[in-house]
Amino acid sequence: MQEQTEKLSLAIVTPTEQLVFEQVDELRVPGTEGDFEVFPEHTPFLTSLRPGVLSYRIGAKIQYFAVSGGFVEVIPDRVIILAQTAESSDSISVDRAKKAKERAKRRLESANKGDREIDVERAETALLRAVARLSACTLAGKKF
Amino acid sequence: MATLRDVRRRIQSVKSTQKLTRAMKMVASSKLRRAEKLLLQARPYAAKITEVVESLAFRTDAKDNPLLNEGSSGKVQMLVVTGDRGLCGGFNSNVLRFAVSSMRNITDKQIDLFVVGKKARDYFLRRPEHNIADEYVNFWRGFSPRDATIVSQKIISSFTESSYDAIYLVYNEFKSALSQKVVIEQLLPIKPRVETVSIDSTEDFAAESASEENGALDTDYLYEPSLAELVDSLLKQHIEFQVHRAFLESYASEQGARMTAMDAATDNAQEMINTLTLQYHRARQASITRELIEIVSGADALSGS
Repeated sequence: MQEQTEKLSLAIVTPTEQLVFEQVDELRVPGTEGDFEVFPEHTPFLTSLRPGVLSYRIGAKIQYFAVSGGFVEVIPDRVIILAQTAESSDSISVDRAKKAKERAKRRLESANKGDREIDVERAETALLRAVARLSACTLAGKKF
Repeated sequence: MATLRDVRRRIQSVKSTQKLTRAMKMVASSKLRRAEKLLLQARPYAAKITEVVESLAFRTDAKDNPLLNEGSSGKVQMLVVTGDRGLCGGFNSNVLRFAVSSMRNITDKQIDLFVVGKKARDYFLRRPEHNIADEYVNFWRGFSPRDATIVSQKIISSFTESSYDAIYLVYNEFKSALSQKVVIEQLLPIKPRVETVSIDSTEDFAAESASEENGALDTDYLYEPSLAELVDSLLKQHIEFQVHRAFLESYASEQGARMTAMDAATDNAQEMINTLTLQYHRARQASITRELIEIVSGADALSGS
């Protein structure tokens, strides 16, 4: 059995759909305490996600996902990603992400100027999410 | 004896009612399809988060988190989920009846209600012997996961602040378009699943695997940030999702119930139209016969003289 390395079984689920259920070679995850990579035989590990780009590799193919928080459980041969939302770079509209980023920025600016109507926390997460979407697209080499 | 015109008018009125019920049935069935899809898509997440929460609860000390412990106030809260609108068969009244009867079974504790949906609120407002602690209404029309977030935050804060003994959730579980089942679930405190180490597996095996998992996993498991923080946020997410799922179940059930009820109503209207049409024809025939008799006897009288 040459070249037949072990694989990780990866499941990415969100409350609204099951996005991925695949055997992957390698996984890169944005954790709250820093990014980390997972290979098969990783030690059991539980952490939470921050908004960012999650990617995994099957052979030579790399897939990028923008995620916005959630949890990750790593068991030696299995990874469960419980994401709040997750979007594949293929399904992200760059235009919309850009607009969302601008909108969130404007909201934060006017909050800084003393507008009390604005929910700063929500605007911040919206900004982070938009940035994550855009960087997922950039990494996937999508045209702007 | 109904006159021709009366019968005709009734037929018209039944027909327009039928149009209405048929339209409602169609709307409900398309909403049902959407709701069923959402429900189906939520299931993998439900399975996975339960898996993670259980394995975590297994490795954590219950005393560490308030969400795993019973309060001591002698009060319980009950969430009753109904729809905002009627005309959906027994959907709302089934939940309400079930809620009332399960409240009767809890005799030793004070019960606060958290009513979700206008029908539940209206019902319990008319019955002041029940204590409504909180309400969340008029949201089904455009309901989204945010509704579950809001409700679950209310539940969690009232659980920790007023130290309820338990919080129950009563809702319609979606079986199929034709059948719903009212269920009651304990939402808080989260009970660590006993099944994972239950007695039905052979005792040796259970003891062995328990010690093995405890020993091995406790030392090998890494947590980032700390275990306590993770447990807290994971449990909150779990509650939120449970509420969301219950809402989805209830919504799908409501649409299913409405579809069935409106289907039956459309059939009944058709039956009524048939009977009335028969009656109409009889009345018309009778009046024609009567007129003929009058003409004939009039002619007879003339020729006789």
